[in-house]
Amino acid sequence: MNLATSFWTWFGAFLTFCIFSFLYKDNPFYKFAEHLFVGVSVGYSISISYHNVLYPDLIVPLFRNGELLNLVPLIFGLCYFTRFLPKVSWLVRLPMGLVLGFGAGAAIPAVIQASIIKQVQGAILTPDVFKRFDLTVWALISLIGVICTVTYFFFSRERGKVTKVMADLGIIFLMVGFGASFGYTVMARISLLIGRFQFLLRDWLGVIK
Amino acid sequence: MRVFEALAKIDRKIIFLILAVVIIVPLIKPIGLISKASTRAKAVFDAVESIPPGKPLMISIDFDPGSMPELYPMLLAILRHAFARDVKVIVLGLWLTGMGLGEQALTTVASEYSKKYGVDYVFLGWRSGVLPVVLGMGEDIKKTFPTDYYGTPLESLAMMSNIRNYRDIPFFISLSAGDPGMNTWIAYAQARYGLKMGAGTTAVSAADAYPYLQTGQLTGLLGGMKGAAEYEFLVKERGYSKEISQATQAMDSQSLAHLLILILIVLGNIGYLFIRKQTKKLGGAR
Repeated sequence: MNLATSFWTWFGAFLTFCIFSFLYKDNPFYKFAEHLFVGVSVGYSISISYHNVLYPDLIVPLFRNGELLNLVPLIFGLCYFTRFLPKVSWLVRLPMGLVLGFGAGAAIPAVIQASIIKQVQGAILTPDVFKRFDLTVWALISLIGVICTVTYFFFSRERGKVTKVMADLGIIFLMVGFGASFGYTVMARISLLIGRFQFLLRDWLGVIK
Repeated sequence: MRVFEALAKIDRKIIFLILAVVIIVPLIKPIGLISKASTRAKAVFDAVESIPPGKPLMISIDFDPGSMPELYPMLLAILRHAFARDVKVIVLGLWLTGMGLGEQALTTVASEYSKKYGVDYVFLGWRSGVLPVVLGMGEDIKKTFPTDYYGTPLESLAMMSNIRNYRDIPFFISLSAGDPGMNTWIAYAQARYGLKMGAGTTAVSAADAYPYLQTGQLTGLLGGMKGAAEYEFLVKERGYSKEISQATQAMDSQSLAHLLILILIVLGNIGYLFIRKQTKKLGGAR
């Protein structure tokens, strides 16, 4: 055993136990660690934002170099705070409109290309797929899965015999998908727990390397 | 009947305790369960392996300390792989709260391989606005990041002299814990600029990444702590690093914890079915 000598490692271990104490029941130690985490995160974000964005991109060019064009983003940014002034609160729509307009304009074509067109292409059977038996089998399963799952989400017409079978098959594919996601989620949560135990055993107690 | 009733009513605190024991014991006394690399992890490894020495690998830290156990070992293993092969490294991030981890990893691994800042690696840090950053770097990295994380102008860093935009980046990896992250890079950098990329994701989001693997939008994938262990395995196998591998160390605990959860799920369901059958019988007798 090689106990940590750093105060911060001991403090980290203390906060870990504070959070673990929630497993027993909600208590002041848990609340303390939770609030401290939120406060530190916000403080860190404000500090990094100031030093990495506001200072080099606005304060220096505008107030030191006299680049007046930077007044435009400054005024737009300040408009966000007009929400606190009821008489001029409508001004908040200006930066919101700009952000939403840019966001939608940039996102719509990109997402359609990356998430719809490419995925449809991926579901289409190409001659290359038939060069290997295993590829052919997986490609066929994938194609059947896509068609049956989309059929399940087709609500505009009453299901006939064939479409009902396809929709039922679609449910099976969906369940397999949910099962895979759940399995991965279990793995993720266990990983986080292992990470904390590694910290306690390695950094704090010095029991493992 | 009593056994199944007892199983169905186990106090959750006892389950927590058993889980803790199952995780702690293999960390102290490793069992050495075999861990091999999947084809998905090998694809990421091979892509980094194919970068010619002197050319850059770009890594985006799209996670924060909340996902550290899964993604930080990936970052360390990838950096060790790149530095061992004399591949230049550019690190940036879309998550503000991950910047401290990025700096820590770079400082640690660079000192192991005696790499110099500005010559062998650059830490761009974080900039506000996700889309302008990702799209802007497709046009000009130096305009998007005029200075690095430490405030040094990029123009003055030797490594950045021949790097203008994504065309000069042979391979990119997003270590992603959610949004913004892998999906953002796929939509705006891969689809629009053809950036060749791989991803390391938390296990929670790994299932969402598989469709992108099938279409070739992702070259490879490291999923959760297991993905990190696979990459560590490959890095060690090739003799690039002899350092302690955090994710590999955790695999015994991970496997045993999964086994415990499987047993609990099976027992819980058997207990539920048995109790339901008994309840039906009693109901029928009345």
